[in-house]
Amino acid sequence: MGSPELVALMLADARLPTGGHTQSAGLEPAVRAGLGADGARLADVASYAADRLRTIVRVEAATAVVARRLTLDGELVEQAEAAWAARTPSQALRAASRRQGRAYLRLASRVWPATTEFLKADAEIARPVVVGVVAAVTGLSAEQTARLIGYDDAQTVVAASLKLLPVDPADAAGWLLKLHPDIEELVTAVSRITTLAEIPAYGAPLVDVFAQAHAVERMRLFHA
Amino acid sequence: MPKNNRSFRLGVAGPVGTGKSSLIAMLCRELASELQLGVITNDIYTDEDARLLRSAGVLDPERIRAVETGACPHTAIRDDVTPNLIAVEDLERDFAPLDVVLVESGGDNLTATFSPALVDAQIFVLDVAGGGDVARKGGPGIARADLLVVNKTDLAPYVGVDVPQMVADAEAARGGKPVLALSRTDADSVLRLKEWVLEMTAVVRSGSHTPVDPGPMAPHSHVGDDGELITHTHAHAH
Repeated sequence: MGSPELVALMLADARLPTGGHTQSAGLEPAVRAGLGADGARLADVASYAADRLRTIVRVEAATAVVARRLTLDGELVEQAEAAWAARTPSQALRAASRRQGRAYLRLASRVWPATTEFLKADAEIARPVVVGVVAAVTGLSAEQTARLIGYDDAQTVVAASLKLLPVDPADAAGWLLKLHPDIEELVTAVSRITTLAEIPAYGAPLVDVFAQAHAVERMRLFHA
Repeated sequence: MPKNNRSFRLGVAGPVGTGKSSLIAMLCRELASELQLGVITNDIYTDEDARLLRSAGVLDPERIRAVETGACPHTAIRDDVTPNLIAVEDLERDFAPLDVVLVESGGDNLTATFSPALVDAQIFVLDVAGGGDVARKGGPGIARADLLVVNKTDLAPYVGVDVPQMVADAEAARGGKPVLALSRTDADSVLRLKEWVLEMTAVVRSGSHTPVDPGPMAPHSHVGDDGELITHTHAHAH
């Protein structure tokens, strides 16, 4: 099964084949809407990542933490997906997350086959739910699970900025470092949650609006 | 997914502008009455290729789907084929049974080839306008794709390329694997392309086909223990 520490590193690594290169965590439509001011205000990227960590990523991280708990307790994880969907108003974001979840599940069913005892290998189920189940079967703690969701989202934003804006990669790495306290705040806020009702319902309406527009956009680099 | 829904997955790779989309449109036009087809495009920045194919009217638009590659067309067909595999499987499920799914790469450079995890066979497309010396320079796709197409031969007089020489260079680089000089104005060449796809489809269906990985490594040589020069065309550890 491997050590949980190493499993967490694998799951946080963009080289893991789960289609991560197709994702910008909503940065592409945000840039199209003016974020970064065509390169004149690059610090917007880090602010955008921090805003996500305080809102919709908390919903995702809490969902993953509860999905992990449900799996460990032998309860149906689909309940976590329903709770997440109720807190994710954008149909485009739900669809993108389910597509990513399927990519994760596809890999997990090969690498961590125990996952398929809880989810069908070709299910379209939200990514945080799949991550929660993988976390349960590989022995990740609730903190590791929440940290993984937070880190992955921030890194997705920062990495996508290199393709979308005139960003120095070393500056981008510096932004990610400065986001560490925001990620740890998220870990503290969600890792003790054990029940569906405790999953917060933070929203970021502009992110939802951008995502809806992006889903029908012709010129795009990233799926979402 | 039930095994009987598995199509022959055929990749089409090659540099930007060599005519991959046009070749796929040509195949759809030539084969749509004989085979059940689907197409996945990997556009770099637009869904232009998918739109071109849909508007060509050669295939039901529903059977043509675009996959975003996050500006990484090479990764999408090689290092992480997950989004493409999911798209292929969805097409196979939604239009079962499909005979052939054509996967068009996003037009990367000469080193990009499909992973055998994604396709059963692949066509690598060059064109005469890219320069008569490209085939001689070689690369994994040129040397080891299942079929090498030298496209737009009708343009050769205008760009000063000797087509027979370019084909001979390509054949020399490929050790007997097929090379096809193609022009949409040359009906014989179009027929040969169609026949190759039909033959490949039959081979894959018979179950006797093992995908060949063109690999990222060029053929190379080293001296073996007994002093003999050994030439490899596969990736291996020295």
